[in-house]
Amino acid sequence: MESRLWLRALYARMWVRVMSVFNEPLWIAVNIGFPFFSSVGLGLLYSSTGLRSFVGFAILGGIMISFWGNVLWSMASQFYWDKQVGLFEIYLTSPAPMTAILIGMSLGGVVNTAPSAVLVAVAGWLFFAPPLSPSWLAVGLTFALTLASLYAMGMMLSSLYLAYGREAESINEALHEPVSLISGVYFPSIGNFSPFPFSVQVFASLIPLTIGMDALRRALFFSQGLSSIYLHLIVLSMR
Amino acid sequence: MLSHEPEVRVEVQNLRREFDSKERKVVALNGVSLKVREGEIFGVLGPNGAGKTTLIRILSTLLLPTSGVARVMGFDVASEPEKVRAVINMASGAERAGYDYISARGNLWFFSQLYGLPSEVAKARIKALSQLLGLDDYLDRKFYMLSTGYRQRVTIARAFINDPKIVFLDEPTIGLDVMTAMSIREFLIKEARENGRTIFLATHNMAEVDTICNRVAIIDRGRILTSDTPTNLKRSLGAPALVMEVSPLPVNLAFLGAVEGVKGFTTSVDEERGLARVQVVVESEECVRRILAGVPASGMRLVSSWRQQTTLEEVFVSLVGRGFVEREHEVGE
Ligand SMILES: Nc1ncnc2c1ncn2[C@@H]1O[C@H](COP(=O)(O)OP(=O)(O)O)[C@@H](O)[C@H]1O
Ligand SMILES: [Mg+2]
Repeated sequence: MESRLWLRALYARMWVRVMSVFNEPLWIAVNIGFPFFSSVGLGLLYSSTGLRSFVGFAILGGIMISFWGNVLWSMASQFYWDKQVGLFEIYLTSPAPMTAILIGMSLGGVVNTAPSAVLVAVAGWLFFAPPLSPSWLAVGLTFALTLASLYAMGMMLSSLYLAYGREAESINEALHEPVSLISGVYFPSIGNFSPFPFSVQVFASLIPLTIGMDALRRALFFSQGLSSIYLHLIVLSMR
Repeated sequence: MLSHEPEVRVEVQNLRREFDSKERKVVALNGVSLKVREGEIFGVLGPNGAGKTTLIRILSTLLLPTSGVARVMGFDVASEPEKVRAVINMASGAERAGYDYISARGNLWFFSQLYGLPSEVAKARIKALSQLLGLDDYLDRKFYMLSTGYRQRVTIARAFINDPKIVFLDEPTIGLDVMTAMSIREFLIKEARENGRTIFLATHNMAEVDTICNRVAIIDRGRILTSDTPTNLKRSLGAPALVMEVSPLPVNLAFLGAVEGVKGFTTSVDEERGLARVQVVVESEECVRRILAGVPASGMRLVSSWRQQTTLEEVFVSLVGRGFVEREHEVGE
């Protein structure tokens, strides 16, 4: 009974999230367009400068930045808008557990972002054919854990939004660019290839996205298996 | 229609709620006690700032009381909120809650899932409720395409989607056109009569209370002043109210306070016609004569006067000495 309610609430929240976007073609275009063009642009740049191995990074970055943008721009502020229109109180007075609603909201976000992520991956593969050397099990696991920690952060941000309301929007503004930069969505920001000094690297490692990106690159391009990225995974699952 | 003694569904004892704002402490509820039974439409009537919303928020588990006890279906709202949530629902007129890009039907389905309803049950309820509320032809429109009135019909349907024992409604018809307000009221009466549902209605609309409530509690500054059927409350006043139009402006009505048998009065100014309309709640015919004699004696001209059938407004005036609007100014709402 309890678990059935949990699942129904989760599924329903995911459903409204997905349908809201799919009923509105313009949103899909924006959702897909931005990460697509920025990663294609970077891919062209990297390949014209002869950085062949970095082209793969650009495509992977395009995929991950879609999810990061989704967490920041629609996950975090969702509760705030729900509260504005009175939906939040409906959740509260219903017997549905808040965790089910939060997870449903996250999964809806993942589903909404998936088309753009897939498009970037397919187009990147066709245009640039980056040299891959994947360890698929590790890639899958890292990808799942990175998303989980990203959306956990989204849930945290949405609570912040509830507490601070619109002022929290400036947190997003403040977070978006620097986090995209130092977490190394498009290039390695920690380890031997990092352009950053050690202190920035330590700070960057506190962001789950950094760890996830690093592990993903290792697994996808350098065929490192679970045995070499297990530390990354442990850190990710602690978030 | 009920063959048994109607069960008590809401029981409130000595409920108190304070808010600490920067400058002052506000006592929103100051020792409220009441009991509401199965099948009743119970109205809580009072001016803005009286504490109605606070009471509804406590009963629907959104807010904790500072002290006192509130039970819904026997469950304590403070210590057993999950049990309360399973048997209630609520809606407010201030909210127009729904997902804009989802159809009315999709929204109602979503809300039904917050109660874990199986799909067939949810579908049947949506169909039945939308028939009763005149929503059939609008179910497949996106929520943002609906007019205010139809959105509120969806909101009311939502508040009954889980077959609740008790529905808390906070100003459900505020700002609605007459037709919509009427059909919502008819729906509420039907739900209470035919399904034994308890409807707990907070409002400052006296006509609404008069037409649909079985019982009403009049609330002012966090206290319940009286509670009875609307008919009994009106009957308790004795004589019909006196309405007079007096000029010139500004009028000085200080003498009314000294007239024996005046229970209270309320004034509204008509700038255009240069007069004030004064509605006086009186104890007897004798008192009316004394008032009418007092007007010229205080240097004013009596433009016209008539008697008016008692409404709940006069009941409030007789209890507080002032009308709703004047009370709202005094309290600073
Ligand atoms: N969150 C709050 N913080 C401070 N004061 C509040 C809060 N909510 C209500 N009040 C005060 O409590 C009193 C009762 O408010 P409310 O219950 O909203 O009245 P009503 O619904 O009858 O208009 C008012 O004086 C209001 O200003
Ligand atoms: Mg109110």
